[in-house]
Amino acid sequence: MKLKFLSLVFLLLSILPVVAVPTAGEVAYAKGDYAVAVEQWEEQGRRDGLTAPLLSALGNAEWKLGRKGRAVLCWERALLLDPRDTVAIAGLRHAQTAGGIERPVPSWSENYSAFLRADTWLIIAGISFWGMTLCAALPKFSRKNTSPWYQRGLVTFATVLALSIPGLWGAHTYAQRAVVRRADVALRLTPTSQGEPVSGIGEGDVVRSERGFNGHTRVQTAEGKTGWVRAGEVEAIWGGGLPANLDQKAAP
Amino acid sequence: MKNAGFILLTLLALLSVRADDSVSWEITPAVTGPGQPFRLQVRIESDVILGPADRVGKEIKPPRGMALRFSGQIFRSGTTEATLNFSGVSPDAEGAYVIPSFNIRFPAKMIRVPEITLNVSGTTGFRKDGQARAELELPDRTFYVGERIPGAILLRGSEQEFVSGSFGLECEAEGFSFQLMSDRAQPLDNGQGLVTAFELTPIRTGSSELSLNGIMLIQVGVTSAFSTPSRDRPFTFRRRINVEHVPEAGRPANWNGAIGKFLTDTVQLSNLSPEVGEPIRLRAILAGEGNLERIIPPEIIGGENWDVIPATERRRRAEDQRIFAYTLVPRLPGKLLTPEIRLATFDPETRSFNQVVFAPQEVIVTGTAPAKVDLVKIDPGAGANGATTKALAGLAPPKPNLRTALSSPVALIQPLAASKSFWATNVALFTLLSLSLGVVLVMGYLSAHPEILIRHHARRSCRRAARQAKQAAQAQDPAAFARAIVEGLRAGSSALLQAEAQALTQRDILRVLPDAPLDLLETLFQAAEGDKFAPRPTSALLTEPACALDLLARLEAKL
Repeated sequence: MKLKFLSLVFLLLSILPVVAVPTAGEVAYAKGDYAVAVEQWEEQGRRDGLTAPLLSALGNAEWKLGRKGRAVLCWERALLLDPRDTVAIAGLRHAQTAGGIERPVPSWSENYSAFLRADTWLIIAGISFWGMTLCAALPKFSRKNTSPWYQRGLVTFATVLALSIPGLWGAHTYAQRAVVRRADVALRLTPTSQGEPVSGIGEGDVVRSERGFNGHTRVQTAEGKTGWVRAGEVEAIWGGGLPANLDQKAAP
Repeated sequence: MKNAGFILLTLLALLSVRADDSVSWEITPAVTGPGQPFRLQVRIESDVILGPADRVGKEIKPPRGMALRFSGQIFRSGTTEATLNFSGVSPDAEGAYVIPSFNIRFPAKMIRVPEITLNVSGTTGFRKDGQARAELELPDRTFYVGERIPGAILLRGSEQEFVSGSFGLECEAEGFSFQLMSDRAQPLDNGQGLVTAFELTPIRTGSSELSLNGIMLIQVGVTSAFSTPSRDRPFTFRRRINVEHVPEAGRPANWNGAIGKFLTDTVQLSNLSPEVGEPIRLRAILAGEGNLERIIPPEIIGGENWDVIPATERRRRAEDQRIFAYTLVPRLPGKLLTPEIRLATFDPETRSFNQVVFAPQEVIVTGTAPAKVDLVKIDPGAGANGATTKALAGLAPPKPNLRTALSSPVALIQPLAASKSFWATNVALFTLLSLSLGVVLVMGYLSAHPEILIRHHARRSCRRAARQAKQAAQAQDPAAFARAIVEGLRAGSSALLQAEAQALTQRDILRVLPDAPLDLLETLFQAAEGDKFAPRPTSALLTEPACALDLLARLEAKL
């Protein structure tokens, strides 16, 4: 009984948010000194690690500084860590409505996967797969008649696995997104520096990256146009921490 | 000598005499009635070839009330004569009207036309009825700077004179901007005439004279397919106009330059149920008569419920409408009312100020409120040092230090799916489980089918017996040879007959190998077990060991 109570207390404490005292970055942000806020929060991220609230706050400050690419990248990465981060969701919505940022419309599987983190989907799928496998294998080991509990467990784990597959697929396609980091990037017909520009994409636009070739990446824009951009002109939302430093000047 | 000097003086006098230009004029009719059209013809004879006149009529200043326009020149090249025609309309009052002297410029020289007097008398019998005439429609009141004054020139025709067109409309007025409402005149409602609409906008105060001149084309009598008798007739209007500023007494603080009669049309919202932070578009449409395009869009205050961003607006001129557009961003959820839009207007006819109000619209805002709401402070004195800046609408207040135990900080945002150890562990576990499951299944199958193992062991015994028999044959040991063969036959046959091996006799072996030679079997059994009873010579077995080994091979093949 005592153990159960302690477990419940621990669970509640783990779920409840903990708000620390305002840091120097927050103070600078409140004063409107966004450059200092970015500097402070980046240092905090390198020192203590990245969290969704920190990345979304960093995105807000970058947006205020006019650096659309870095801002959108921060918000997208914050959503990877916490798909329900309200600050990042509001920032991306604001960037699309007031900032003119183009972002691919999420597919139904991506919307489905946004219910949980990508890692959570994978863990659920793994647990359900192993549970299903053990429920199917254990009766063979025991050489006894199959218990009804094994069958119930088998059906339950199989159902969970089936429900997690769209989430896994949505997380997989969502992970292929990348953010345009340069201003006025030309979408080229061929993966060469002399390729014919077929369209233009702006800084901060979110694209779907497909494959790389010859120092270029094939991308698909939110409008469905497909072409090649230089690999350094886009940055994938997965596989990084803070936005890469491209020595980019702030937009006016 | 005296005569010669006289002749010389005469020649000099002739040379010094300058030939004068002869200018004559004729008005038809010579005496006109009030408002009667007339024609003025000016004839010029000069000592040089005149050619075409240039900019005729620019210097003509007809007296007040008289319209006079140059209508054409009868031109013959290479002559010293020129005939210029003018058309005019006499004033409405009787009297002698003097057209001031003016110049006519020819390529060779400039000719001065002397004063011309037009006599207007009511005794001519002329009647204006049935004559085409021009009328000016313009409000007769005091105007205000920035006001849009609609006006029109009506060219009214009659059954005798049909107005077919107009051209050359000119406006001379200082302190006004003049703009035609259409490129060409529109027909009157009754079909007998044309109307040219225009707009005047005073740009400064004071009293000034407005002068409008133009020409209308008139078709006289019956029009046939072969002849269309027409003539042009000038018209002129002069009006003194007083312009003032909109009175400061009683002027509301929110008056943004609206002068006219206005009313609210509609208020449109792009979304009646937005989420918190989702921008919606509010369009307030103002209609009426006045200077719609000169109105400065009224500012609205969002308060703590709304962020207000001015948006681009469009003016639909054809419908006399003005659209004020705003982008509203709800900051809190619930049932909210959009901000009220107030606009002060000035009615120039009643000289009073009015208020036009666009009523608030109800909007249901969904979503959740952010933890902290930054109130927008409208303070004209604030922001001078840049200390307070309005937060950009749509961004939620950041909470970078928000922590939960379930969301641990990470150095790199790497998916678990990219972890090699994750997949390696899963593959290893799956392989181990599969192998274990396979072993269990095989063991279970073998336990369910024991004959497989029995036959397998019997085959092994047959092979072992064959090897021992061969070794015995090589060692020339008939007894060991026979024992090995019999042991193999018994082991193999016992698996097929499901009997105890040691209990089998040569007859039992015949049940398994029916075609085996009985003599050989008996010899083998006697040699193998004869030492228990009475030993017999067995050397004959080793003469043909292949026959005995063949029995073992045949038995192994059956297993």
